[in-house]
Amino acid sequence: MKKECIAMLLAGGQGSRLYVLTGAMAKPAVPFGGKFRIIDFPLSNCTNSGIDTVGVLTQYRPMELNSYIGSGQPWDLDSSSGGVHILPPYMGSKGGTWYKGTANAIYQNIGFIDQYQPEYVVILSGDHIYKMDYSEMLRRHKESDAACTISVMEVPWEEASRFGIMSVDGEDMITEFAEKPRQPKSNLASMGIYVFSWKALRRYLTEDEADPGSENDFGKNIIPKMLADGQRMAAFRFQGYWKDVGTLTSLWDANMDMLSPESGLDLSDESWPIFARSVDAPPIYMGGDSRVSHSAINRGCDIEGTVENSVLSPRVTVEKGAKVSYSVLLPGVTVETGAVIEYAIIGEGCHIGKDCRVGGAPDSALDGKWDLTVLAPDCQLEDGREVAPGIMLDHHGKEVLK
Amino acid sequence: MNRMHGIIFAYEQRGELRELTERRTAASMPFGGRYRAVDFALSNLLNAGVTDVGMVLHGRYQSMLDHVGSGKVWDMSRKRGGLHLLPPFNYLHEWGVTPFRGKMEALAGVRDYLNEIRQDYVVLMEGDLVSNLPLADILEQHIRTHADITAVCGDDSFATENGTYFEKDPDGRIREVLFNMHQPRGYRSLDVFVMSTDLLRSLVDECQARDQYSFRRDVLQAKQDLLHLQSYTFSGFAAQIRSVQEYYDRSMQLLDKQIREDLFTSDRPIRAKGADKASTYIGPDGVCLNSLVAEGCRIEGTVVNSILFPGVTVEKGAKVEDCILFRGTTVREEARLSHVITDKHVELLPGRTMVGHTAYPIVIAKGSVI
Repeated sequence: MKKECIAMLLAGGQGSRLYVLTGAMAKPAVPFGGKFRIIDFPLSNCTNSGIDTVGVLTQYRPMELNSYIGSGQPWDLDSSSGGVHILPPYMGSKGGTWYKGTANAIYQNIGFIDQYQPEYVVILSGDHIYKMDYSEMLRRHKESDAACTISVMEVPWEEASRFGIMSVDGEDMITEFAEKPRQPKSNLASMGIYVFSWKALRRYLTEDEADPGSENDFGKNIIPKMLADGQRMAAFRFQGYWKDVGTLTSLWDANMDMLSPESGLDLSDESWPIFARSVDAPPIYMGGDSRVSHSAINRGCDIEGTVENSVLSPRVTVEKGAKVSYSVLLPGVTVETGAVIEYAIIGEGCHIGKDCRVGGAPDSALDGKWDLTVLAPDCQLEDGREVAPGIMLDHHGKEVLK
Repeated sequence: MNRMHGIIFAYEQRGELRELTERRTAASMPFGGRYRAVDFALSNLLNAGVTDVGMVLHGRYQSMLDHVGSGKVWDMSRKRGGLHLLPPFNYLHEWGVTPFRGKMEALAGVRDYLNEIRQDYVVLMEGDLVSNLPLADILEQHIRTHADITAVCGDDSFATENGTYFEKDPDGRIREVLFNMHQPRGYRSLDVFVMSTDLLRSLVDECQARDQYSFRRDVLQAKQDLLHLQSYTFSGFAAQIRSVQEYYDRSMQLLDKQIREDLFTSDRPIRAKGADKASTYIGPDGVCLNSLVAEGCRIEGTVVNSILFPGVTVEKGAKVEDCILFRGTTVREEARLSHVITDKHVELLPGRTMVGHTAYPIVIAKGSVI
């Protein structure tokens, strides 16, 4: 069936900078903001933008992601003429390989894309928290008659050297692209979101594949090549909240941002809902002695203790006399009585025994080297255990290095 | 196990739910922060492996249609069987504007549907029953005792609106079927009945031939000596939503941990439609004590001993005590509510006060701005 525009979502990232949190799952499957997972953002953006066909490219530990996406129904992506499709690497008659790079992943799925004979393809990644109307970006792409449109946002000049930086002309057409430049000429950073005219992209992917020296990557190979060839490349300016949650600190930051809509991340706005596959659990119960403030809580939570400045996923229990502050608790965590958790990310299904002390405030670090405390999913802490700030534990409760 | 077929009665019935049933039937009453009453019947069926279910409707069923949809939430959107909604339009005779007079008339109205039932057994349930029943056990007992009809009862004689009560022998056989009593006695019927599909069909035909419509009078009472009527006593939480007072009292019981654990036991989960809302947020000065709160709520004021459905806002300085606030209720700054049930999308303007009483909770109709 012919579609004007389809989306391809790169969800194969290993997420190695999330360490123990991505031990058993791909980064896009990591829970975020209480009831969501990271991948809910691009998927919901697609639905809200009117894109009903999405290919999700998976490779690294895809089980969690596969079962989460399922038929795509929670995102309204289960239509019979499109919908969401999981695309792992596969073997063809001429063999097959792992996805070598972002561009190669798309190259290997040219057959999938061709089924829909699209005019345009949107390339997305599965590790960003943001709300964007891709249809506006597509309009910009059409109006500027570009072969490729890249969404960009202004970043503080001092941070510009951490990003792929675009220089533009008076009509916001891209004139130059520099990956993490030491001396940035502009502060327009690429957000890793591209719209391509499929005919052009198809040709460049094929050429790129034939080049043995290429790393088969959009940012390193395809975009520079198209620029060098003088293709029309448009910038699409995005204003609003956008965060790459590829590190533990940025993941924690984004969770905290959600608590304050002033940050720009307002998830309660009903005109742009973020959909999620939700668990079935009774409503939250907050007990007579509980104290909850400036926190987000979800279904199935049972709170008898104190929760401050924290994000609690579904089915979290905080017993009487326990205290959780400045922390992100992933689904199914239990915090027993007397335990204290501060500045921590606690993985799915962790059990924190009585009177444990996990993490601490930045000013509590003795040697000035402070960091978040992180527990791998299913880590069981025996009563009274202390886990200092900055420590990371695996699911056996053993310390691992970052 | 798919040896049983479910029939849920969700047609309009006389009750004392006042404004709450202006636009819905008791079966689609919101309950417990994120459920509708009928979610319990549907989940009970699903948890016993029953996915072939007919739901009998008549009057004010728009809200029910919106809620159940294709039955997907309960895995009842199936190629074979699944959920069948049975509005009155298949009724052979003139179905009229008045609701069915009783279950037997309702079943006569879907007589053709009864022919299509593939299973040997049928369970009849009321859509207004909020309980977590072990239907698989109930069927098992029905088969073991060779009963003609197994009737499920609570182990109390709690006075429910329009209730039916049983007196039973020590072996559980039902000796007497009672209703319209001034002072209830015996065991309260939960109006859940298991029998063979063949028996159901013949009872429906027999009643129709005599213009009889009441299951409890024309079947249970009339055939007490001809049929083996066996009871199954369920001692867990079982609420029938038939009056505002009953609705309020039963809802508030959910603030008791024991009752929640009983109703939401994890081996028989209750499924409900999701709300696609973000997490619930409690503000820096928000206070929320001894309350059940669904997703997407925003609490900046004080909430005590209350039940909040999705998307409720309680602004700074507002105080909500002993209330049940349906989806989308907004309580503006400094407003005070106590012993109030607000229907969907009610707005309390700043500083307004509404005070009911435990013995007479105030109901505010859908969409009201006060």
